[in-house]
Amino acid sequence: MRAFRGLILSAAVAASVSLYGQQLATLPSPVPVRFAVIGDMGTGKAAQYEVGALMQKSRGTFPFDFVITLGDNIYGGNSAKDYRNKFELPYKTMLDSGVLFYASLGNHDSPTQRDYKAFNMGGRQYYTYTKGRTQFFALDSSYMSPEQLSWLVKELQASDADWKVCYFHHPLYSSGASHGSAVELRLVLEPILIKYGVQVVFAGHEHFYERLKPQHGISYFIAGGAGQLRKGDLKTNTGLTALGYDRDRSFMIVAIVDDTLTFETLSRTGQRVDAGVIARHAGQR
Amino acid sequence: MSRLVWVLAFALISAAAATSFQSNSFVAAEDGGSIFVERVAAFVRLHKGLDAALPPPTGATEAERGVARQRALTSALIAARRDARQGDVFTPVVAARFRAILRDAFTGPDGANIRRTLKEGDPVTLPPMHVNDVYPENAPLVTMPPTLLRRLPSLPMELSYRIVGRELVLKDVDTNVIVDVLPDAVPAAP
Repeated sequence: MRAFRGLILSAAVAASVSLYGQQLATLPSPVPVRFAVIGDMGTGKAAQYEVGALMQKSRGTFPFDFVITLGDNIYGGNSAKDYRNKFELPYKTMLDSGVLFYASLGNHDSPTQRDYKAFNMGGRQYYTYTKGRTQFFALDSSYMSPEQLSWLVKELQASDADWKVCYFHHPLYSSGASHGSAVELRLVLEPILIKYGVQVVFAGHEHFYERLKPQHGISYFIAGGAGQLRKGDLKTNTGLTALGYDRDRSFMIVAIVDDTLTFETLSRTGQRVDAGVIARHAGQR
Repeated sequence: MSRLVWVLAFALISAAAATSFQSNSFVAAEDGGSIFVERVAAFVRLHKGLDAALPPPTGATEAERGVARQRALTSALIAARRDARQGDVFTPVVAARFRAILRDAFTGPDGANIRRTLKEGDPVTLPPMHVNDVYPENAPLVTMPPTLLRRLPSLPMELSYRIVGRELVLKDVDTNVIVDVLPDAVPAAP
């Protein structure tokens, strides 16, 4: 049985996204939920633009429909010029092509970003939406109020999605030397994620990529290097890391089809940093 | 039979009332709860009234219009509150309640994690906050410790708490205008 499952996973990996994604066309129906993941990107500097250009290029072979942002969307100001130089221009081609961005807020973000239409937050600091059989929950981890936690419980309870994906800024687990795990947030949030069957969590805040070893059945990712970079910040002795990358900027692309989530992480220069498959447990909902 | 129904109904109502009181203990308490709620409600009325009275923002892009609206509301709030003083919301009685809550939180079992959360953000040294100042636009927001938020009275969506140094700041979310400041709110680190 184990060998059979390994075979299935190997096949899924082989059929998964790749940088130039030739095999993507072989992904089975139904239409996959395809999205990109970026965090800590809103610097307006060259590296952000380079990542944006590579994201656009990757759409040629992996046509993701939307992007989730993990906070720190606009650093250092809240003027119209900031929105233009740190969001609208770096991702212009994608925006013009109809790619939607679903933002979450970081500690460098003005809460007024919730009203910025291109972030699709609907005026809310935390919100949920569904794509296919996947439900996304964007949270505000800088202000995890009891009201937000109650809302999350209510929404998760009501969800009949096959996949439940949460994303927010502060990572519950991290090997970052500068920040590290948000332990207090983890104490209040993780029991809810476990109880209601969230399978995947994306966070930023740390300016690198880290795939954590699954914790309590949840796959955790940090993808906070789409603009900022903190080179060499990943500690190697936390025992948390499945794979880390802190040498250059990066972003993720993800496809969800039926019971399989396939991900790939690319560096600013197009190097494939990480890739893999997460299988939804039978009956998990 | 009918007596049994009455006894059961009374028990249910009593239990519900007790739960409600616990979850709103700050509001229900005589020592400042109602004052705080009234002052917060008055601010929200002002915020909403000024917002509704703003002319449609101008600008070529949606971002420009959004920023113009925010700046107009900021100016209107500051002008309307030009006589606001520290302690208008955190009156002495309210302040004493808040300091007690914060002292219990910081010295209790959650205290170490609360301090860790406050340090864990991107710590910056901010100038002392004053009423009607605007929280610096370029400064990161200090994460509010979730276990502390659980102890503090809930706020309407127009307002948020932030801790800056040892001060508890009550801040307008849309404009970053400082509504009130509670000095020496955070106990000194052990």
